Amino acid sequence: MVRQKICVVFWCICLGILLSCTQSTDKQTLVMRLGAEPSMLNPILSTDAPSSSVNGYIFNGLLKVNEKMELVPDLAEKYTVSEDGRRLVFYLKKNVKWHDGVPFTASDVVFTFDKILDSNTNTVRRSDYIINGEPIGFEAVGDYEIRITLPSPFAPLLNRLTMGIIPKHIFNSEDINISEFNRKPIGTGPFVFQRWETSQFVLLTQNLDFFDKKPTIETVLLKIIPDNNTALVSFEKEEIYSSGIPGKEFPRISESSLFQTFQYYDLAYTYLGFNLKNPLFSMPDIRQAIAMAINKKSIVDGILRGYGTPAHLPTSPEMWTYPKRSFSYDFDPEGAKSLLKEAGFVMNSRTGIFEKNGDPFQFKIITNKGNKDREKAAEIIQGNLKDIGIDVSLQLMEWSSFIAIVNSDQDPKDYDAVILGWSLGLDPDGYSIWHSSQYPKGFNFIGYQNETVDRFLELGRVTMDRDKRQGIYQTIYDEIAKDVPYVFLYYPESLVGINHRVKGLSEAGPTGLFNPIENIYIEE
Amino acid sequence: MLHVLYKRFLVVVPMLLGVTLISFFIMKAAPGDPVSMYMDPSVSLEDMQQIRENLGFDLPVYKQYVLWLKELCLGNLGYSYVTGKPVFQAIVERLPATLLLSISSLVVILLITFPLGLICGYKKDTLVDDSITVFSFLGLSIPSFWLGLMFILLFSLTLDLFPTSGFMDPLLYDASIFQKAMNIGYHMFLPLLTIVVGGIAGLTRYNRFGVIKILAQDYIVAARARGISEFRLLFKHALKNIMLPIITILGLDLPSLIGGSYIIEYIFSWPGMGQLGVQAVFQRDYPILMATILFSSFLIIIGNMIADICYAYVDPRISRGKERV
Repeated sequence: MVRQKICVVFWCICLGILLSCTQSTDKQTLVMRLGAEPSMLNPILSTDAPSSSVNGYIFNGLLKVNEKMELVPDLAEKYTVSEDGRRLVFYLKKNVKWHDGVPFTASDVVFTFDKILDSNTNTVRRSDYIINGEPIGFEAVGDYEIRITLPSPFAPLLNRLTMGIIPKHIFNSEDINISEFNRKPIGTGPFVFQRWETSQFVLLTQNLDFFDKKPTIETVLLKIIPDNNTALVSFEKEEIYSSGIPGKEFPRISESSLFQTFQYYDLAYTYLGFNLKNPLFSMPDIRQAIAMAINKKSIVDGILRGYGTPAHLPTSPEMWTYPKRSFSYDFDPEGAKSLLKEAGFVMNSRTGIFEKNGDPFQFKIITNKGNKDREKAAEIIQGNLKDIGIDVSLQLMEWSSFIAIVNSDQDPKDYDAVILGWSLGLDPDGYSIWHSSQYPKGFNFIGYQNETVDRFLELGRVTMDRDKRQGIYQTIYDEIAKDVPYVFLYYPESLVGINHRVKGLSEAGPTGLFNPIENIYIEE
Repeated sequence: MLHVLYKRFLVVVPMLLGVTLISFFIMKAAPGDPVSMYMDPSVSLEDMQQIRENLGFDLPVYKQYVLWLKELCLGNLGYSYVTGKPVFQAIVERLPATLLLSISSLVVILLITFPLGLICGYKKDTLVDDSITVFSFLGLSIPSFWLGLMFILLFSLTLDLFPTSGFMDPLLYDASIFQKAMNIGYHMFLPLLTIVVGGIAGLTRYNRFGVIKILAQDYIVAARARGISEFRLLFKHALKNIMLPIITILGLDLPSLIGGSYIIEYIFSWPGMGQLGVQAVFQRDYPILMATILFSSFLIIIGNMIADICYAYVDPRISRGKERV
């Protein structure tokens, strides 16, 4: 009798497990991955990638970036720019409603930018709307017109007007830094926020009142899966519909009929940066010799398994300013040795290291611990430079300690060379990285100084015409490439896998594939 | 006994104060702050400085500590710098998942290791002992991140028996409690298995050592000489004493029950405290860090106290000894 009862209980449990395991996934549910827990679902406060991914479904800006990386109106119907580039007028769409049903108006736009400019708001976006110390003016004229007045023309502004607009009626009476609406956002976008379970998922549903083309997808489920390996297995098991694919797995995934694969350049590059205030690197010839001694192709093949390309310029092949022809120093170890000899270095045949006045040519490269690509790149560079007679030591540092050295206010800074990478915005402006005013405080921590580059960087910011800007940035890139303040190492490629059932994708690119989300549908 | 406990409890407050004070200053002495995590050319240093001021980092460190302590006395643990979420909420919402996994793994580990330890100790230096030792050490030496991944590959991808990761199916949030519990159990199997495999070795060794030590004692030899059966000898006379070192370990283990395991949580996307704590360290999220330190030091102290009480219960020599003093 007892045995029978145990049997019944056992089978009940098994049945329960089976029932609970079979989830009825809606056919128009798009299941995506977030690589980490989002910080805040508020576009003016968050800077992390997971938050931006979620915010993209929920919020709209005045402008948006389409799949071809062009700026097009979003909440705006149209906009005009005055000839001197100092006055912009945006005419807003009239049929837009917040997810709680309240109509969207120009006051929401003004409120958003006022909040960003408010020094009590913990946002790092404030300087985006301040030009030469003066804030940009945002003024509502009636309910559907915004006038923007700039102290001086500023080309990168248009890209910054893609900032998601937040609802005034919600945040007006809240402390925005700690508001609970940063965790249950209300936007105007194609998807409405439903639920956020910490470290598990964010659930969104179709916005039936969306002002533009309504999405076909009914539910977006964003699963938080921090580990890349687990994410890849989830993707192969079709638990998520999209995943980044590591280089070594890419050929295998590409061959499967279950998945579509895409590869495109990121808006990013990795580099070896010299401390130009260090006497060792103050001569361009020395930097050039190092650039010629580094085999970038072997770095791309060894680290990225060929999914990338050697870099020569401070931009990305996906960027509209990327020139057709560019100046570069090719891999030439013998040429590098000659350059060092011309600079007065003598090879010590006993140690195999170049020396000058009895001092061996040695320096230290620092990079942040945990970034395997950079660590491996550092090792390859160490080997390359040893081959021509330069003794390089490596130091891997915890991110904060690393930043403390690189970003310290002192001049000169306490490092020889760094390996780092920059993610680029959609605007080619590189003022914060290359302008001489950004040293020692700022991101020009290598202490780069070139009057032509300074002048053209300033010009690039006030020139609104795209063709003219292209010429300006070509000059900047050429100057920088000749000066070799960085040895640009590689442009990495993004390798993305998407389930074969997901259709309506755009061309692959940094802003492509799922953009616009309204076109995406799941095939049965 | 009560008197001892009362005295011990009085020491808790200054101890906690000391722990928080030292942790706060060490934390502030470490390079970086939550704002310096932005290494993005689109972020200006002025904005970073403004946020530092807003968060009160420009004040002297002792003032920051006093402010934190003042808020703590008012029952406010503060807000996370990264998410703006109340710290208490951030901890409480992660606690159930952590407790569920850590307590169930502890129970399973105890259930497995106790008999294993007994067998190993009793059958010391035999083939059984050696094989159990080898297998338990194998479990200990395999890194959990690798083992976890292998389990995912085997049980989830190849055999399709369990989900790769997560806590519960998102579509089941409105389902019945029974269904939810089953679904959580279904998700918990692989992380639990990974922890258990890695955790068996340690306790088995402790148990084995305890058994060997006790069985060599005079009173056991005497009992054996009196002709008491081996079963009775082991379970009646030796068992309580074998439990002593285990109680010490469990007492010390209490904070780790709450602390969670970062690696396991990371691999299996388990929404627990481990990820919260480690991310807080990386992001220099001081309020979260301080709260977790406070919480775990409190638990260490309480854990030790509970262990002491259990000692007195299991080994009467301890409480009698104190009474004599």
